[in-house]
Amino acid sequence: MNSIVDVGDVWKKFPMKREKPGFKEFLLTLPKFVKRNTGSYFWALKGINFQVQHRECLGIIGKNGSGKSTLLSLILGTIYPTNGAIKVSQNTTPLLELGAGFHPDLTGRENILINGVLLGLTKDEVLDRMEEIIAFSEINQFIDMPVRIYSSGMYVRLAFSVAIHADPKLLLIDEILAVGDEAFQKKSEDALRGLIQSGVTTIFVSHQMSAIKKICDRVMWLDGGEIRLVGEPEKVVEEYLRHSGYF
Amino acid sequence: MTTSRDYKRKKDLLLLLTKKEITLRYKRTVLGVIWSLLNPILFAFVFFVAFKIFMRIHMENYTFFFLSALFPWTWFSASVTMSTGILLGNVSLIKKIRFPRYFLVIATNLSQLVNFLFAIPIMVGFACVYGGGPGINWLLAVPLLIVIQFVATTGICLAVSMMNAHFRDMEHIIGVVISLLFWMTPIVYPLDMVPEAYRGYFLFNPLAYLIPAWRDVFMSNIINWGSIGISFGSSLIFFFLGLLVFQRLGKKLDEVL
Repeated sequence: MNSIVDVGDVWKKFPMKREKPGFKEFLLTLPKFVKRNTGSYFWALKGINFQVQHRECLGIIGKNGSGKSTLLSLILGTIYPTNGAIKVSQNTTPLLELGAGFHPDLTGRENILINGVLLGLTKDEVLDRMEEIIAFSEINQFIDMPVRIYSSGMYVRLAFSVAIHADPKLLLIDEILAVGDEAFQKKSEDALRGLIQSGVTTIFVSHQMSAIKKICDRVMWLDGGEIRLVGEPEKVVEEYLRHSGYF
Repeated sequence: MTTSRDYKRKKDLLLLLTKKEITLRYKRTVLGVIWSLLNPILFAFVFFVAFKIFMRIHMENYTFFFLSALFPWTWFSASVTMSTGILLGNVSLIKKIRFPRYFLVIATNLSQLVNFLFAIPIMVGFACVYGGGPGINWLLAVPLLIVIQFVATTGICLAVSMMNAHFRDMEHIIGVVISLLFWMTPIVYPLDMVPEAYRGYFLFNPLAYLIPAWRDVFMSNIINWGSIGISFGSSLIFFFLGLLVFQRLGKKLDEVL
């Protein structure tokens, strides 16, 4: 077994910045300012350690602010750990925020092209899959119009469609299973499950415990930036719910 | 195999980002890309009228003299001014998708270069009317100068874009510095009008010798190796300084965006 993701004792802190003072305060407090008050920090992650194996689906659960999204961003590589190291040996496809990088003034087709290449395909590969992506998104006749006129449902459907057609090797999913209307939700869930079952390594953050239990091989419970429990989905979810006071 | 695919993907990404910049510039306009050509023509016309009729400067072909410097300057100043907003304007892209961030800077620079390319036919026109016409030296000098200016501009844009993400004061400073630089560069006047004592300081200006080099090519079909050498050296210095700033401050980008 070779691990795709190796997170070794990772710590991440964010500076707690207050809104900058005005110019008058700046002048008055200049002496203090020069001393460079290092201010306070917030530790979002405190010593996280885990591996994700090839073809595994790891679920991450935890309260708001427990560090789930920070962890995903670190694995994706858009932010860097303060201490520790993260090794990722695959191209990652993020499903963190659907439609990140869409430009409202570009047409659906133009956005598919740019987003597909951003997510790891070459231009030719995106062009080959263009019709498939459009068909899945069910945008049809609006595809050559700027996406600013799209309804929010159409927008996320298009974004989701690009992402799952981008040949993901390591999928990072941050709570997005609720895409579009019920029919499309079903379709997107099926598509994701198909991907995961076909052996795409997945890290899945969600608050929907039923989805977590259905999809994941292993679940990690984050609490206050630390790993509280890792293991069988049933057991961890039950423990988490009991702790949160649902039982 | 994978590396060649990766290379191709990077190239596709850079070209698409550049194309996006250009497309967006003319979205919702009636004339579209025609503006790229129309803009420099109108500019040329405005200054032609101004210098021929209203402000008669006692210098031969002053309009040609001025425009041969103004067009490369515009490429530079537009890129630098736009670079202040590059990282701030693409926050969701930077935070949610991993790709080389400097691509955004290079794409902006490339899209401005395309604008500049549209001004070259106008220089050809002026050269035909006022000079001996474009000569064989253009074929060597124009691409060479484009590369030098591209390298220098990229370096400065890298630094400016990253510094503005950390300190928003940058965009206000840049506005002032750009107009200062305009007068500190031989655009409205020739380089030899600058007193000898001050010439040394001009070495700190990446455009001070580049702009005259452009002018020598456009107006007299001369490759000025002295100016080109100095410009080349300073473009490398600015590029590596810019890259250094970009890399250093880039590590903390997620905390400030």
